[in-house]
Amino acid sequence: MYSIKSLFPFLVLLFTFELQAELIDAQIEVRAEAKYGAFAKNRFKAIDEKLLNSLEDADEIKKLNTVNTWVNFIKYGSDEKIYGVSDYWATLYEFVGKNAGDCEDYTIAKYYILKELGVDPQKMKFAYVVYKNKQGKNISHMVLAYFTTPQPKSKDEILILDNNNRLILPASKRPDLIKLIKMINGDTGPKSKKWKKLEENMQRKKL
Amino acid sequence: MKLYNQMALAISFIIITILASVMAVSYQSTKKDMLQSVYEASVNNIATLAHTLASAQGDEVIMMSSVDAAFDSGYYKSIEFRSSDGEFVYKQEDSEQIESVPAWFVKFADVANTPISEDVLVGWESIGKVSIVGDTAIVYKSLYKSFVRLLYLFAIFTVISLALFAVMLFYILKPLKEIQKQAEAIMRDEFVYQEKIPYTTEFKEVVKGMNQMVKKVEYIFIKGSEALKRNQELLYIDPITELYNRRYLLLKLPDLIALENRANGGTLVFLGLGGAEILNQSLGHANADKVFQRLGSVLQRVAESFDDGVAARVNGTEFIIVLPNCEAQKSLEVAKEIHTKYELILKKYELLSEEITLDIGLYRYRPNMDVSELLTKADNALTHAKADEYSSIYVYEERDDENAMGKEQWREIIEESIEKKQIGLKFWSVLDTRSRKISHNVMSFTIDNGAHKEYFYGDFIAPAINLGLVSKIYKLALDTLLTNKHSQLGDKLCSIRLSNEFIKDPYSYETLSFLLKEKAKELPFKLSFELSDNFVVKNPILVGNFIKLFKETGCEFGINAFTGDSEDFSYLKVYNPRFIKADVSFLLDQSQDSMGALRVITDSLGLEIIATSVRTSEELEQLRGMGIYSVQGPITDEITKSITE
Repeated sequence: MYSIKSLFPFLVLLFTFELQAELIDAQIEVRAEAKYGAFAKNRFKAIDEKLLNSLEDADEIKKLNTVNTWVNFIKYGSDEKIYGVSDYWATLYEFVGKNAGDCEDYTIAKYYILKELGVDPQKMKFAYVVYKNKQGKNISHMVLAYFTTPQPKSKDEILILDNNNRLILPASKRPDLIKLIKMINGDTGPKSKKWKKLEENMQRKKL
Repeated sequence: MKLYNQMALAISFIIITILASVMAVSYQSTKKDMLQSVYEASVNNIATLAHTLASAQGDEVIMMSSVDAAFDSGYYKSIEFRSSDGEFVYKQEDSEQIESVPAWFVKFADVANTPISEDVLVGWESIGKVSIVGDTAIVYKSLYKSFVRLLYLFAIFTVISLALFAVMLFYILKPLKEIQKQAEAIMRDEFVYQEKIPYTTEFKEVVKGMNQMVKKVEYIFIKGSEALKRNQELLYIDPITELYNRRYLLLKLPDLIALENRANGGTLVFLGLGGAEILNQSLGHANADKVFQRLGSVLQRVAESFDDGVAARVNGTEFIIVLPNCEAQKSLEVAKEIHTKYELILKKYELLSEEITLDIGLYRYRPNMDVSELLTKADNALTHAKADEYSSIYVYEERDDENAMGKEQWREIIEESIEKKQIGLKFWSVLDTRSRKISHNVMSFTIDNGAHKEYFYGDFIAPAINLGLVSKIYKLALDTLLTNKHSQLGDKLCSIRLSNEFIKDPYSYETLSFLLKEKAKELPFKLSFELSDNFVVKNPILVGNFIKLFKETGCEFGINAFTGDSEDFSYLKVYNPRFIKADVSFLLDQSQDSMGALRVITDSLGLEIIATSVRTSEELEQLRGMGIYSVQGPITDEITKSITE
């Protein structure tokens, strides 16, 4: 029988540990305000309060929906336009701070927020797909795939979080994703050069 | 450059060479290995990638996506697909700077990685070519890392080895320090013998050699000083009585009665033995000599009981004792005592004092007397004593001459000059007769109270001594020398003769010490102080202190009025003066042997002999013949004048 009192020091320890590794802290808000203005600060505040704090006890589907909707509000912009390079993986901070990014940046942001909310990173994959847009043009695209079971047997068991679609639908209900090229793990799989770089940037909260 | 620094430089050079070669070798092999593994990884990947691209069946979007996926999930510098017709090209490339490696290193390393490519086949048809360039960032990073690590390692290695080397060298080269000290001592003409023989063979030989050399020079010195003593004895000592002879007395007399030394003059005791034939007849020559010997030792003891007293046998039956600073009354007592002792000697040999008489003439002399006049007057006194039937002792005292000033008059003059600082400095030069150049200057001083009269050193020094003002007047003269500018001195040595009385004054040391410590170091010229030979020999402790002071304050020290009548010459070795000055008449009086012995001493000590009071060019020539080229005296003025003309 352990009393709450005897557990208290451990809780405090756990709490402070979590504070240190927090995805969004007070410092990033200050830095964001200095670099991008008050709105950027508010966006980070919103992630902290509306997503991370209020969804703490919600079920996973609710977490996925809310995060997807929230992140999709950010405007689309190509890497070429924002960073001046053909392909750049932005950190969550750069993406939210600039309030713009391309498909990869949406995917990365969703991944990190969901991971922070306690979603198992093994269930989330970065999916390289070919997307047919409304004009019928094929586009190279990336989405976040969520496995409802560890080893999905059909497309019904894979949910797609896409910046081109405000709803989270199973892959089977997404005929516009005409081909899956490759699915790679997030920071839990073998780390490529791109991932290593991103992880480093995330750790130092590159803004 | 110091030996340690040289060796440290050599060691550093060796370490740097090793470092550079190790780095070059390791760099080359690491670079080669890493490039090989990058190449192998690219080969592994290109087959899979070509296959994936083929399965796109030519769909450009799928191919682009495939290239993106492959590029994002691996380590590549670039992936490029180019269709066979060249119309479709898609390339992913990492053009970012390599982090944690400085640009200069990237430029320096220049890792060249050639792309590998493979055809993309759909069925039998090649639709294009895929090219891969492996990621070389890792090569740069690891090369740079190992470079930095080696650099640190070698830095630590260098510091440690230099420290160890310093410690080792300190112990190995310790004897060298001692050798250096010994060498410096030899250069200062000191005889330092190294007791500790070092362990290292080369050093051992050097130390042994140097010890041998020091021993030899010391031996030469000792031989020389023995020879000089022997020659001096032959020249100046009466063999029977062991008193000085006439030659010595005549040489020394001017010095003894010199004004400076004796304030009030002294007494010359002239003794004459009568009836020497009877003595010889009744005792025989051998025993008669014994009487002379006994009388000699009585006279010697009397002379020794006075400062600078000298007893001499001037001929077979006549003796002279010079007692400087001895009052008439005192000398009368002395004479009586001598006579009493003489009678005791006669009694011992059963001789009668009526037959063999000893008459004593006492002449109380005044300073500044002519030597021949002095001797004549003393002789007169002796004649009086001989003639007197009732007494064998006759005292003849010279009255103060009218010209001499009284004590109080002198006090007034000297005290006024001290108060008003009326001191004039006079410089005489010491010439090298070979180069006809001034080797150094000698300072003397006068009292110069402008309106009245100029008093020379010789005039006022005796009264000053008498009045206890010598220290003050010297202080003023030295102060004038050290404070004012004397352009005529240039940067040459300036030598000052210190009066014996000045040295004896208890306040002199303090005065001189204060002056020298305050001012000697800033002077454009170097100072030297001269003390008289006799005084140096007789007051070793006092003189030792002053010499220590001179050396501490960077001043030189020399000996003047050298007469070479010392028991041994080791004081020259101990004090190590820069020069010795001797009166020209003393030097010219020396036999060849005697001069040779003196030269041995001065050469082994690196001493210069300077002749003083040189007046004529004949003397100059004679001195040249003896190998003495440094001269001082009236002649130098003539020479310098003839040069300027």
